[in-house]
Amino acid sequence: MNEEKAIRVKGLKKTFKIKLKEKGLIGSIKGMFKTKYKKINAVNDISFEVDKGEMIAFIGPNGAGKSTTIKMLTGILYPDQGEIEVMGIDPRRKRKQLAYEIGTVFGQKEQLWMHLTPYDNFKFFGAIYDLDERVVEKRINELVELFEISEFINTPVRNLSLGQRIRCEIAASLIHKPKILFLDEPTIGLDPVVKENIRTFIKRMNKEYKTTIFLTSHDVGDIEKLCKRIIIVNHGEIVLDDSMDNLKYHYLNKKIVEAKMKEKINLDDEEGITILKDKGYNLKIEVDTTKRTVGDAIKLLDPDKIVDINISNVPLENIISDIYKSGN
Amino acid sequence: MRKYLYIYKSELMSQLQYLFNLVFGFIGCGIILFIFFNLWHYIYSDSSQIINGYSVDQMIWYVIITEIIWGACMGRTLCRKISNDVRGGNIAYNINKPYNYIGYSLASHLGTATVKGIIYTVLALILGLVMMGNFPTTNVLELVLVLISSILAVVISSLFTIFIGLFSFFIEDSSPFYWLYSKFILVIGVIFPIEYFPNVVQPFLKFSPIYVVSYGPAKLFVNFNINDCISIFVAQFIYILVAYLLCSLVYKKGVRRLNVNGG
Repeated sequence: MNEEKAIRVKGLKKTFKIKLKEKGLIGSIKGMFKTKYKKINAVNDISFEVDKGEMIAFIGPNGAGKSTTIKMLTGILYPDQGEIEVMGIDPRRKRKQLAYEIGTVFGQKEQLWMHLTPYDNFKFFGAIYDLDERVVEKRINELVELFEISEFINTPVRNLSLGQRIRCEIAASLIHKPKILFLDEPTIGLDPVVKENIRTFIKRMNKEYKTTIFLTSHDVGDIEKLCKRIIIVNHGEIVLDDSMDNLKYHYLNKKIVEAKMKEKINLDDEEGITILKDKGYNLKIEVDTTKRTVGDAIKLLDPDKIVDINISNVPLENIISDIYKSGN
Repeated sequence: MRKYLYIYKSELMSQLQYLFNLVFGFIGCGIILFIFFNLWHYIYSDSSQIINGYSVDQMIWYVIITEIIWGACMGRTLCRKISNDVRGGNIAYNINKPYNYIGYSLASHLGTATVKGIIYTVLALILGLVMMGNFPTTNVLELVLVLISSILAVVISSLFTIFIGLFSFFIEDSSPFYWLYSKFILVIGVIFPIEYFPNVVQPFLKFSPIYVVSYGPAKLFVNFNINDCISIFVAQFIYILVAYLLCSLVYKKGVRRLNVNGG
């Protein structure tokens, strides 16, 4: 095994057998005697590696196979084919041993005991991971400071706000100093300020403990602000595995020009210039700088009639959405 | 072992939040005991009469003890939870933790059973004393053995519930099986001692779970006998071992079949 790799995945495959039911009452009756199944290739020949201490975004549209991959990486599901090594451990064979090396946070699923306080929960997780009482106490103090939890450490979890709860969820998953943290939608449902706080905490944790972060999120802000590398999966296959800088660089040849005009102007699409939005006085144009310049676009608008103008890069959200749609 | 004690302790602390709910939950049990108090007094025309080896007071104390055990280990919620965990995929969040799911479910359920058991024991014993003014035994050693046997009964009943719940790996819904099991124990095991059944049925009942989850501890309380005590304890230990092995087998087979789609 390569000492520098936190995760190694090669030729991973997983197929699900889904029960089919014909429509209506007759279909239900038929189903009682003869069940039909449909095979779905949830994960189809996925290979990648993650370095120790790396923060990686593993994203894809719903049903792309990302959760299935995470579940195989954490030993929850058994792959049909392929090799997996997480911190040098095969999750299929040594799931329990792996549990001590990884931490998981699922934004949509609480792992904490709702009627207990964060302190009691941390003690509970400490015991689950066979940590000595003194070690747990020391670790709790570190995490309370890192995630600024002291204010509500003795409040039952059920009375905490969602943001406070997520902070406690992440802290609890770190009690045993996992080498890898799997974060599945950690900021779902949070307001922008709390989201930003959570991202700061995750960054701080990665810096302080060198924890490898494996992030799944539909929130582009999470991906953009936390990860240096991005893997996009679709239809069970990896469609992109690149650094965030490269991804942005390749798409930087497109610029968005938003202009507010003095009077209405009629424009049509031209080679390298696409009208995204035309509301008479307000225009949004995409310029492909490999074919036309931004200056060309401004000339088309007539500079004397421009009240205000804004030129920006294509948002990452649009880039990702384009990749999802194109499938490659 | 420490982790399971922590799971037990955490559930116990959680249940203490609902102390008053549990106290009010005893009302149903109290009504049943009151009904049986009157029913058995009606059946036993003379209080010195002995039917199938039991006096009227012994019969009422028998029902009190079986009701306490049954109330403490009521597993409908546990069975539904395991069933939902398996069918809804929530079990996935337990699989990647460094504990055994059966041990987790058992420790957690025993936490609930402890709080319920203490409340039911205190209230049921007070009710029994008020109704009958006597206590079948005051021998401390006998009481300790009855207590241990009752705890083992709760453990066995919890393991059976987990076993039934885990069947959700293979069938759509395991709650109808729990319904059958609970009615079997309630109707045959909680209300009547084995001696009340025809001679031909009694050997079967002595091999059934009724012997270890309700009859055994209650019989020891109303009429302690060292030979009965030994055979009940032996049977209870065998049942624990078998029930745990069955749970492990079903879990091991089931987890391999687990399909958890989606996020």
